[in-house]
Parts: sequence; C-alpha cells; structure tokens
Amino acid sequence: MKIMEKLEEKFGKKIIKCDKKSERRIYLDINPADLTDFAQYIFRDMAARFIIASGVDTPGGIEILYHFSFDSSGLILSLRILLDRDSPEVESLTSVFKAAEWIECEINELLGVNFRNHPNLRHLLLPSDWPKGNYPLRRKS
Amino acid sequence: MLKAIFYFLIFPGFLFTAVAGLLASWIDRKVTARVQWRVGPPWWQNFADFIKLLGKETIVPQGSSRATFLLAPIFGLAAVTIISTLLWLTMINPASTFIGDLIVVLYLLTIPAIAVIIGGFASRNPLASLGASREMKLILSYELPFILVCLVPVIQAGGTIRLGEILNYQINNGMVLGSLSGPLAFIVAILCMQAKLTLVPFDIPEAEQEIMAGPYIEYSGPTLAVFKLTRQMMLFVVPMFLVVLFLGGIIFSGWHILWGILKYVILLVIIVLIRNTNPRVRIDQAVKFFWGPMTLLAIIAVLLALLGV
Amino acid sequence: MNLKLKSLTKSIWVFHFASASCNNCDIEILDALTPKFDLERFGILLVGSIRHADVLLVTGMITHKGAVRLKRLYEQAPKPCFVVAVGSCACSKCIFKDSYNAAGPVDRIVPVNAYIPGCPPKPEAMIMAVVKLVKSLTGK
Repeated sequence: MKIMEKLEEKFGKKIIKCDKKSERRIYLDINPADLTDFAQYIFRDMAARFIIASGVDTPGGIEILYHFSFDSSGLILSLRILLDRDSPEVESLTSVFKAAEWIECEINELLGVNFRNHPNLRHLLLPSDWPKGNYPLRRKS
Repeated sequence: MLKAIFYFLIFPGFLFTAVAGLLASWIDRKVTARVQWRVGPPWWQNFADFIKLLGKETIVPQGSSRATFLLAPIFGLAAVTIISTLLWLTMINPASTFIGDLIVVLYLLTIPAIAVIIGGFASRNPLASLGASREMKLILSYELPFILVCLVPVIQAGGTIRLGEILNYQINNGMVLGSLSGPLAFIVAILCMQAKLTLVPFDIPEAEQEIMAGPYIEYSGPTLAVFKLTRQMMLFVVPMFLVVLFLGGIIFSGWHILWGILKYVILLVIIVLIRNTNPRVRIDQAVKFFWGPMTLLAIIAVLLALLGV
Repeated sequence: MNLKLKSLTKSIWVFHFASASCNNCDIEILDALTPKFDLERFGILLVGSIRHADVLLVTGMITHKGAVRLKRLYEQAPKPCFVVAVGSCACSKCIFKDSYNAAGPVDRIVPVNAYIPGCPPKPEAMIMAVVKLVKSLTGK
C-alpha cells in the first residue's frame, strides 16, 4: 500500500526486514543508527502519531520497538531495533517529538539502555536510592 | 449583667443557636440524601460528629504562626453567636435593641468568612492559601449586591437602620416581599446567601475534588469542630436574618410562632434544593455573576424602592 | 463505655489512599458510598484531608515510592486513627509476591487494624469489616 511504497522509495536498503503481520500491522527492522532519520520522516513528513515505545530483553539482545499510528487508515507501524546487551546505546528521540522523554526514562531505568542527548534522565518508577546496575526487567541469567 | 451573660450563652445565644444549627444542618444532609434516593444519617449525627472531633488530637503545622492558627476559629464562633443573640432579642422585643444594629449585623456577618481566610493563610500550606484566596475573591464579589439589597427594606421602612423599626413596619404594613421591589431584592439576597454560606454552586473555597478541603486542610480535632460548628450556626443565622428583613420575622404570640418557623423552613428548603441541583462554578464565573447581573438587579430593586413601589 | 469512644464509632470519617492499585478496589469503595449501599447512614463520610480522617483506607500493592508517602500520611493523621487494608494486594502482596517494586504488604509499613481480603472485595464485605472494627473498638 502507499505507506510502504513511500518508505521503500525513500529509504530503500536501510530497511533490513519488513514483516507484514496483517493488513494493518507492519514491523520494520532497522539499524539503530538510522533511527532518527526514520522517526523524523514518519512523524513529520508522513504525519503519523507516536503511540509508545516498548523494550524487551530477548536472547538476541535488547530490542526496542517504536509504535506509530496512521489514524486515517488505521495502520500501526512499528520500528524495531536490536541493541547489544553489554552496552546498549541509542540516540534519543526527544529532539523529534517531546513524547519520547518519559518512555525513554522508563526504558533506561528498567532495562539499562542509555539514550544519548536525552534532556532529563531520571528515575520515574523506581525510588531514587535503587542500587545502580540493577535493572529489574533484564533476564536473570 | 447576669442577664446579658444568660442571653449570650444560653438563649438566644450560643447553646440555642448551636443546637438549632446542628439540627438545621441535619435537615440539609437528610434532604440531600433523599434527593439522591439514599436513606441519610439519623438526627443525632451532627452531634456525634462534634463530640468525636473534640476527642481527637490537635496538630499545629510546623512553621505556622501558632497563635493565629489556634485562635482563628474562635473569632467566627463569637461573631455568629452575637449576631444570633441580637436577631432573636430584636424579634422577641423590637424596642430593646439600639440604633444602627443593622449595620453591626452586616459587619459581623463577614467575620466568619474572614476567620476562615485567616486560618487558611496561617496554615503554611499552598492548598490552604489557594482556598483562602478564593474565599477572599468570593467575599469581594457577593458583598456588593448583598449590601445593596439590604437597603431595600431600609428604604421601604422609611430610612431607619434599626431592625426593630423594620420589624414594626412589616407588622403594620405587610411583608417587604409583598411589594414590587421586594421579590427582586429577595431573589438576589437568596443567591448572595448561598455564597455566604459557601454552599454549592458557590462552595469554591472548599472544593473537595480540587483542593482537598481548602482552608480547612490543616485543621484537626477541636479547632476543626469549632469551624464546622460555625458553618452550621451560619446555616441557622443567615436565613433568619433574611426572614427578619424581608418576611417580617417571627411574632411571638399564638399561631404566629408556627408561621414564623415555617418561613425559616421554606428558606432552608430553597437553599437545599439549589444546593442539590447545581454544579460548582469557577471563581471567575462567580465574580462575573455577582458583579454583573446580580448588582444590576439589586440596583433596579433599590430604584424601585426609592420610587415607592 | 466512655463518650469519646462511643462518638468515634458513630461517626467515622474515611480517607482513601491508593498506591499502584489496579483501581478495582477503589471502584468498589466508591460503590459502597452510592445509594445502593449508602454508608452515610452509619455516619461514614469521605473526607479530603488526612487531618480530618479517623480511618485510613489503603488499597493497592504499595510501591517503594508509595511506602514513603504512606508512612508520612499515617504520621500526619491525628490519633486515634485506624488503618484498614482493602483488597488482597494490600493484605498480602497477592500476585505481586515476587515483584521488584513491591514494598511489602501494608502491615509492614503501618500498623493495620482490619483486613478486607477479596479481589475486589464486595461492598457487603466492606460493611461487615466496618461492623467488626466498631465491635472490636467497643470491646465486644
């Protein structure tokens, strides 16, 4: 459909894998370095709405999904990036849309992902005297 | 001297007004419950609340001004007791009070609200300050039409500022409500009374869902009991003041006593019905309401009274 | 029985505190105050400030951040004040037994006078808890 065609035309090779689970649910695997370009294009130029981000600790590494909604057609597009478990780092998306601020704080305190250039990384859910390095949502090896 | 103490403390002063206020407030709660298809509390509920509050400990917030915090409720209680004593003594014997007692009563009627403001600001709590500042704005807004409509019975009774002479005029010439300017002034007075008693739709200072009990937030135990008792006594005293000004007071002879009590009960029912059928307004809407349409109606009522209608 | 205790049992003012609750217990507490069950005929009122309260109703699994505030609330309440733990998450941690953020059931933080288990407890169970609390206060 038109949205996927536009994305393939603009980014081409940067989409590592496109997983179309149903007519209205698409997952795009991308490189963490290209995240800001994708997010800017989808949010600004294609006028989508950012829903939320979710993070999981999988056997292949720490996976973060960013979910966008195209309200007029009912399509939900998710960008998936895979980060290395030993030192997970990715660029923060607060420069693109302010809504990323709090969800990135949460992913940081619960999974230990470092977001570069985040304006205010602090503890939202855990108390301030929580021991550093203890990330509750990581798998216990 | 002993007689004055009796009047002030027992009848018609503190004890009589307190019991009457607690019962009037129970009528309010029971009617509200019935309107909401509930059962409602028993008649001794307010007495139990008062005694329970006397038995709890008083906590003074750290850093607040202790004397102001503890003394603020007592100003309100003293003021409302004096008003009730004056009103009932006037009704029992219209010639026994002094010239200018109408002005004294109007001044004293503002003191319970001022006591709430002083208590709210002395609490050292941002929510209490917010509630107290809203109460200040509310007072500024409703005092204007209230004083204007209190001029209407004064003008009709021939320019006297003595409550006894207003009562005598009404005994001879029929209630102030029976003229053209009377009902207009009475309607404005009822709405101003609703704001003076801080009842919905004007219970902005104590908006429970917004600012968590407003100026009363830090009060506990006996000090809270005195504040609540002052509010309940005001529910008895302010409608009685309107009955004296507009409806001819209570004449103490035979069947007229029952008719007088009926007048008070009708006013109480009007207050409770307005309370149960309206949402709360914002403070800026309340100020616009009182300085706009209400003041206009009050001025029209005064002009009609001056024309002799 | 002295007047102070008797008047306390006839007029109970309730303050409601919820920390990390799924809000089911909160909805049932609200239910108990609606016309069908009508707790106001027993003198029970919901108040807005902790300083006016006689009973502190606690719902939810208490998080670490919430535990600090619950302790502070209990100290701010003028004594005599009773604590009632509503719901299974407040009585014991229920399904959050192994959670990283659960600061323990309520009786690890403040002393509790009555427990109302259930997920969520019915309003009838809450009324029974009130009756039992009143009976225990008056020594029966």
